[in-house]
Amino acid sequence: MSKVIANIRLFFQGALLSYIALFHWLRPSQYIATKVIGPLAQILFFTLMGKFGTSGESADFYIIGNAIQITALSGIYGVTFSLSGDRWNGTLPYLFGTPANRMTMFLGRAMIHIVDGIFGVLIGFAWGVTLLGLDLSNTDPLALLLVIAVTTFSTSGLGLMLGSLSLVTRNVMFINNTAYFVLLVLSGSNIAINRLPSALQTVSNALPLTRGITSARAIIDGATFQDVRPAMLEEIGIGMIYIVCGYVLFRWIEVLAKRRGTLEVI
Amino acid sequence: MKPGMLKTYLRVIKLAFIFTIKQAMTDAFVIFGIFVQPLIIAIMALFVLGEQGDEIAIFIVVGSGLTGLWDSVLFQSGSSITQERWTGTLEALVGMPTPLGVIVFGKNLAFVTQALGSMIASYTLASIIFGYPLSVESPMLFIISVILTVLSLVCLGLVLATLFVLNPDVQRWQNGLEFPVFILAGFLFPIAILPQWTTPLSYILAPYWAAVALHLSSSAKPGILEISTPWAMMALLGVIYLFLAFWLFKKMLFKARVEATLSGQ
Repeated sequence: MSKVIANIRLFFQGALLSYIALFHWLRPSQYIATKVIGPLAQILFFTLMGKFGTSGESADFYIIGNAIQITALSGIYGVTFSLSGDRWNGTLPYLFGTPANRMTMFLGRAMIHIVDGIFGVLIGFAWGVTLLGLDLSNTDPLALLLVIAVTTFSTSGLGLMLGSLSLVTRNVMFINNTAYFVLLVLSGSNIAINRLPSALQTVSNALPLTRGITSARAIIDGATFQDVRPAMLEEIGIGMIYIVCGYVLFRWIEVLAKRRGTLEVI
Repeated sequence: MKPGMLKTYLRVIKLAFIFTIKQAMTDAFVIFGIFVQPLIIAIMALFVLGEQGDEIAIFIVVGSGLTGLWDSVLFQSGSSITQERWTGTLEALVGMPTPLGVIVFGKNLAFVTQALGSMIASYTLASIIFGYPLSVESPMLFIISVILTVLSLVCLGLVLATLFVLNPDVQRWQNGLEFPVFILAGFLFPIAILPQWTTPLSYILAPYWAAVALHLSSSAKPGILEISTPWAMMALLGVIYLFLAFWLFKKMLFKARVEATLSGQ
């Protein structure tokens, strides 16, 4: 019993401390720039480009797509940096030297970013409604919130996998940036999936976010959660697959790094 | 300035340029900013705007290339002094007889010049992969526009570099400044679709005038009078940025020497 309590404590403490260490802020200016103004500018840029390209009839397509896609800021960058931060700050050997449960430690890195990611998407929708006239009158708010939560979870799964990779590569920013922008192209946030070549549609279906964005558009269009439930179950499944792959990688890297003595090699 | 000094400064700029190019080309973050991100933006723009016809392709090539240029100014030029501080080389640079501004100018020139690669990458993508027929309508005017763009953006980079060192709170806004300039400078859509109150903000940005000149010379055959407005604005803004940067450099070095904060993080 005491082991379970210790693991729960480790999960929540690890989650909180890695979040605080990551941003070494909780400084409002940096949070506002990264999580409020940046996403607003991204939504505006793609929505305006879409309006220019299509005479304005499909602005909602871009607003919803980019608002949901904002979750990748927390899910990809936040989660990855939470893991790679230990390597850059020299705390990884201590972490791997402890007898702490690795799964708890690993999953804890994503927890606050999931909450933060949901909050980020809500900010994105707030911008969409107040500045760009997004109409949510047909929307079931609870269903939309569930879609956002599930999508954020699955994106954080991808983040955990990429975070594991960051323990062996120096180019973590390259990996993160590429993943973020690939999601922008292939998740359906800015290009309808059916317009992509069929090979890319297959890739798109294996990514998190894709089903989340489609489901959010349907919910805002008046669908119920029952209508999007199969897609959401698939989204959870995709998130779980990425988490398992990430965890296997995490453990493998730990064993390899210990054997080679390369834990701190950067 | 003594006549011999100019020669010395030009030599320092040349060496800083060569060294920076070599160093930056091994940095994956730079490769991403110059090649990958502009290409991805070009792909999205080709899907979103491509239905407007073949003639929009060169507009997209130039616009997505400009996003690479701006990213280079914002992230690389903007961090060009901060980076020296992180690597512990700032003290040595400040202690040299050559003014720090001259060295940073050479570095920024390298950053902006290599970022032109983003335009070439977008051109290759649109032409070879998407099969758009691409041609620059006024090649000579385009080349002059590119040169003025590079110079004005280097000057803007000098302002950002000093501003970010003087006030780390401003640097925290670095990530948040990327897309707003894509929007205000009209890289991939005209600023006419923005609210009117944003127009003065566009006018004080050299990237906006760069976009006007490059789009105009690549997509049309403008008269010399028509294109001279963005050219003149880039030259004027470049000079203003240079004066501002000169003042900021003096302020930064004075502050650093008095407070002994050169290596402070």
